[in-house]
Amino acid sequence: MAPKSRVPEKSSVSTSSAPKAKKAGSADAQQIVQDVWSKYVNKTPQRVKLLDSFMVFLIVVGVLQFVYCLIVGNFPFNAFLSGFSATVGQFVLTASLRIQTNPENKAEFESISHERAFADFVFGSLILHFFCINFIN
Amino acid sequence: MRWLFSCMLLALLGAVQALSSSGQRLLVILEDEAEREKYSVLLEDLSSRGFHTTVQSPKADKLSLFKHGARAYDHVILLPAKSKGLGPALTANQFLDFMNNEGNVIVALSSDHATPSSVQSLLLELDIHVPSDKGALVVDHFNYDSTSAADKHDVLLLPFPKAIRPDVKNYFAGEGLIAVPRAVGQTLGNESPLILPVLRAPSTAYSYNPKDEADVVEDPFATGEQLNIVSSLQAHNSARLTVVGSAELLQNKWFAEKATINGQAVKTANRDFVQKVTAWTFKETGVLKIGKLLHYNNERVSKKLNTSVAIPEHNPKIYRIKEDVAFQIEVSEYEIDHLAPFLPVENDALQLEFSMLSPFHRLNLTPLSQTANATIFGVSFRTPDQHGIFNFRINFRRPFLTNLDEKRQVTVRHFAHDEWPRSWQISGAWVWIGGIWVTVVAWVGFVALWLYSAPTTNSVKKTQ
Repeated sequence: MAPKSRVPEKSSVSTSSAPKAKKAGSADAQQIVQDVWSKYVNKTPQRVKLLDSFMVFLIVVGVLQFVYCLIVGNFPFNAFLSGFSATVGQFVLTASLRIQTNPENKAEFESISHERAFADFVFGSLILHFFCINFIN
Repeated sequence: MRWLFSCMLLALLGAVQALSSSGQRLLVILEDEAEREKYSVLLEDLSSRGFHTTVQSPKADKLSLFKHGARAYDHVILLPAKSKGLGPALTANQFLDFMNNEGNVIVALSSDHATPSSVQSLLLELDIHVPSDKGALVVDHFNYDSTSAADKHDVLLLPFPKAIRPDVKNYFAGEGLIAVPRAVGQTLGNESPLILPVLRAPSTAYSYNPKDEADVVEDPFATGEQLNIVSSLQAHNSARLTVVGSAELLQNKWFAEKATINGQAVKTANRDFVQKVTAWTFKETGVLKIGKLLHYNNERVSKKLNTSVAIPEHNPKIYRIKEDVAFQIEVSEYEIDHLAPFLPVENDALQLEFSMLSPFHRLNLTPLSQTANATIFGVSFRTPDQHGIFNFRINFRRPFLTNLDEKRQVTVRHFAHDEWPRSWQISGAWVWIGGIWVTVVAWVGFVALWLYSAPTTNSVKKTQ
């Protein structure tokens, strides 16, 4: 019975008022975004939020450098490479730290403690900064 | 130190050979001893200029241009002989070998005698052509000597030759008229860049054989300025050969003879001309020598010229790309008995090539100063943006001057890692420097926050 009743319902919705449905759809989308956001705000641990905000910051800085390169030119190309790859590398390192320390992945990284992951992250970042500063000369 | 030594050696050599720059041993090949008298003034002139003359018949047993595989003489004068063959010691190959060993040759031809076959093939080898029939001579009905050849018109009176090109120095200039009796004219091939005319026949002259019975000369060997009375060749090793069309031109009889041209009495100036021709052929004139050659890094030093105190390193083996380099060279020209400062003709210039396979720079060298016997040429330039093995090369080949070809090999390296400009000196890099430091500072802040936020995370976990 249920399928029978469902089919006419659907057809009536699609034929009667398309704009209404759209409105409802956008409302749904807004609802979804809001739900996602509130869920993220409420359920994400603070350290992961900190990681995320740092990664967003890195994306912004990297995009700015890339746009500057597109507009002005890549004249000291090594400078562009080191500046841009500093953000990209830092982003990658931060992402791996996020993967290793996220409580949701706990099952997969049981053998790696948060302290160990953080130490790796610091070590890798220091090497990255050294290389970038050396390369930009 | 090396150049000092070579300079000393040069000075020593100069003291030893006071005269011709390439030796004094002169062989005169003369078949008939009785004819020696006819050339006595020439031979005396030559020995007074320091040549040790040996007169030999081509039939002499011991005659050889070589001894123990080396040249036995430095210069040869080949005077015409009655016999058609010159014997096994004087083949065309022997003469070519002699020139390959930097010996100089004067070949005198005569219309009275047939040109020996070895001389013919020698000249053919060098792309100088002479009429094949015996007795052909150069006649001119406008520039003849009416005292001695009123009827036959076969004694030409010619002015001294002019420079063959405006940018070539004339080593045969002089005053007066040269008597050219019964000359065998030569034509020069177009292919060889080494052969040069010294004295050309006037445009009204032509070559013909008086034995021809015909009244009209048909198909003459050559006419006008195509005919050369005296022509020369300078090989790549600067060995010189001169063909004198008329052996009589070298004889005492014509050295200061009274002659008449177009009703005017004149005195022939053959002695002066022959002196100039022999001096050039035997390398008393037109010989270039390279003295001290110097190149150095022109950056980071005071730019005083030719003071060895101011220059840290002479002739370094290695340069860097885009580096200021100075180059100096001393060039002298040998003049009869001494080295004098050399200066190229007005429209000409000595050039320096800085080349790897092909020249990256070809620069005119400017005369900076003169010493007692050399001109110092110099130029400064910037090494190209290309690393590799380069040559400083002087390649100077001019008519009547010995060839200069001097190379110095140097390495040109690229920038070392610490020779690039620092990043902050390039304003275009500031944004990316900023990008790096913003990342670093933000990372430090992040690490601090991470460490600081550790307990909060625990409490969040607990609350969850």
